[in-house]
Amino acid sequence: MMYKNKKVKNKIISLSSRDLLFAIDYEKKINLDKLFDLNSKYNFLKNKNNDLLKIKIENEIISNSFLRIENVIDQTKNKFKFIALDFSYLFKKDIFKGRVSIIQKKENIIDIIFQLAGKWNNEIPKKTTLIFPFLCNLNNHKNFLKPGHVINGKKSIKKSVWNFHEYPPAIITNNSKNVAVGIEFFDQFPWQSNYNLGMHEAFLKDDFDHYESEVQLNTELSDVITMRLYTSSKGKNEIFHLWKENTRSRYDLRKYFRPKNTWIKKNYITHFTFAYGKEIFDYKKTKLNIKKIIKDGKEFGGYDSLIFWHQYPRLGLDSTNQWDLYKYLPEELNSIKKIVEICHRNGIKFFIPFKPWDVRSNESLDYHAKSLEHFITKTNIDGFFLDTMSSLPESFLKIQKKFPSFEFASEGTPKEQRQIEQLTSSWDQIGDIRRNYKVEVEANMFRFVFPEHPLNLVSRWSVGSDKDSIIKRAAFNGTGLVIWQDVFGCWLPFSKKQKKVINQLKYVLKKFHNIIFGSNSTPLIDTLSAGLICNEFSNNSNQKIFAIYNFTKKNISGPFVKIESKINIKIQQVFGTNSSIQLKKIKKDQALYGTIKADDVVLVHIKY
Amino acid sequence: MKSIQNNKIFIDSSEYIYRVAHLTLEGTCSLDHGPKNVFIKNLYVDKYPVTNQQFLNFIKSTGYKPADPQRFLAHNPNKIKNNYPVVCVSQHDAMQYAKWVGGRLPTDEEWQYIAAGPNYLEWPWGDIFDPLVCNHDQGALTPVNAHKKGASWCGCEDLSGNTWEWTSGIYDDGEHKFALLRGGSFFYAQDHWHVGGGARKNNYHWKLQILNEGMNRASTLGFRCVYDV
Repeated sequence: MMYKNKKVKNKIISLSSRDLLFAIDYEKKINLDKLFDLNSKYNFLKNKNNDLLKIKIENEIISNSFLRIENVIDQTKNKFKFIALDFSYLFKKDIFKGRVSIIQKKENIIDIIFQLAGKWNNEIPKKTTLIFPFLCNLNNHKNFLKPGHVINGKKSIKKSVWNFHEYPPAIITNNSKNVAVGIEFFDQFPWQSNYNLGMHEAFLKDDFDHYESEVQLNTELSDVITMRLYTSSKGKNEIFHLWKENTRSRYDLRKYFRPKNTWIKKNYITHFTFAYGKEIFDYKKTKLNIKKIIKDGKEFGGYDSLIFWHQYPRLGLDSTNQWDLYKYLPEELNSIKKIVEICHRNGIKFFIPFKPWDVRSNESLDYHAKSLEHFITKTNIDGFFLDTMSSLPESFLKIQKKFPSFEFASEGTPKEQRQIEQLTSSWDQIGDIRRNYKVEVEANMFRFVFPEHPLNLVSRWSVGSDKDSIIKRAAFNGTGLVIWQDVFGCWLPFSKKQKKVINQLKYVLKKFHNIIFGSNSTPLIDTLSAGLICNEFSNNSNQKIFAIYNFTKKNISGPFVKIESKINIKIQQVFGTNSSIQLKKIKKDQALYGTIKADDVVLVHIKY
Repeated sequence: MKSIQNNKIFIDSSEYIYRVAHLTLEGTCSLDHGPKNVFIKNLYVDKYPVTNQQFLNFIKSTGYKPADPQRFLAHNPNKIKNNYPVVCVSQHDAMQYAKWVGGRLPTDEEWQYIAAGPNYLEWPWGDIFDPLVCNHDQGALTPVNAHKKGASWCGCEDLSGNTWEWTSGIYDDGEHKFALLRGGSFFYAQDHWHVGGGARKNNYHWKLQILNEGMNRASTLGFRCVYDV
């Protein structure tokens, strides 16, 4: 053993960070004795009996009290604090050893690492599962909040989507004391054999008490579960930011800040231009009429880009591939070149799509990259829309070296680290096709973790009130939209009223761009009235935007959200039905106050 | 059915129940897909799809030049054997040919009756798919008379597979124009996002969205004619 064994009087070892005291009592068993906030003395453990770990071999649980403590490590005086318990157990003829380590690297981040090893009799492994009673207690805590959930009255409800492979912490809070602890099972490998991912998913379910994590043991100690605790004395919003900063610190996000493609950040309204319809095609002249599209777009506040779409649903009628199909447009590539020129004169960028499903057996992605390069040279297009994809093929990366302003945008939001790093814009596409999909106004957490990644919201088949909800969802998340009215031959237009609202939204996105796409924005901050959810947009300046949504069927009058108590605060509602927003004092705090109509989103600008 | 003259087959007038599977990938086509009673008038129908030789004769005789020649006969019919089906023709080209021979393109309903007949067969030759009696996924066009066993109840050949066939309708739903194709072709693309290829059943029509003539022509798309009596 490389660490010094420290003799401890009461058989308790503890570690304290800036906010949290963490103590393990190993006198009779390995028990989590204390987990409380040092400032408020708030105890997150409701029971005294908090076994840190139970091991189950086949159907028999090894009693925690039978574990033999082999070694105790206590190195808490350094900046890098570390405590650990080594234990062993002989179960029938199988020998186990394990270690529980607690490490504090940063003042408000603590890692708890469980390691196990097993030497099996006859070298035949047995089914081994782990149970974590102390986590069950935390999971059952009345203020336990799953990620992306909000407290609504006395209940916690999910009001978010989380569709990428980073796993946010669940949070235990005590709002009266303003303390919060986030619990993360960190890992990057999104597959079911991953113990931590299994823990993450189980921990967020209601039946976590019955969860057993199956592990495979080696003869030497290896990690089975790694927990990371984030602690804050400022409340749960800070937990999100601690986790976000910690997560983003692994990322190489340089591609988002290429000087030549800043235009994509202001690509608020993109038009899906389906070629086979009167929206763009003039059947009398048998020509594409791009000027009509540009004119129509003014009602939406003007299109920032177009995605020209003529390959699907036509590819496959014969062997013509996705590139050759452009040859059959009225003036071949010239027709694209001409409409690109007109778009550029009107400040509109131009995308064409790439169809990964049309890569033939005699074609490589390098061939497609060369074809794209040729196409850019001939037509001066600005971007490539990656149909059905949420990743960027390696072959395409070199295109941006030659054409630094060229942009790739995908239909799906990228999910994994490298893809998030390489693919710098995408759609936020929602809605199962023709399955009675209801558009929910909820927080898109990706947008808040990576605010530099522009998203354009779309739900292609949504009509009527669902189209209203798309606009509200975009406003709530501060994202752009895809205007897709001709869905492969189904004409599903926006109404005049909806166009007007989108126009208003675009104005707000443009005017308050730096705030809405600011790096300090927080999803789902606490609200003061049940029935409301709120996203806060901030770029660390003296201005903020609050997006507040009334998700109930009744108007809500009352306080919405707390804001910092400062003098000379100017407030202005910039989006949504007039809600008579004003500032009111509530005890020691100030709050936004007013009446928000049922199912309405309002955006309020605040200047200190 | 009464007689065959000059490779034209007579079809007796009949009423039958039209029902078609709508297949356009995503989207819809704003048509009545049945089931509904339709009446088919007495008519003659080409036993085979129009061949390269027949179409070249038409050009030679009439001097036909399409106003928009993009992709017109791009398969180079002069180099391809005469009895292969003509392709790379638009619906307009096909209509001009049909007019020259005194016929017209079949309606969607007529085509289905010619293929399925009074017994509502699933395929021209019967109810069970048989890739050996049609050009299904053979990788290239075949002569129009290469699959005699695939003939329909009335004797028409090459209805399913080899080439898609134009029908006569051109539809305008207010925002789009489209036509209906029948029969499928030899080309069978790999992915479900592609146009469903290979030989197709009698009750399958494909909604082809109309654009400029270059886009309306394809190397798998030909036609046959019918003749009013």
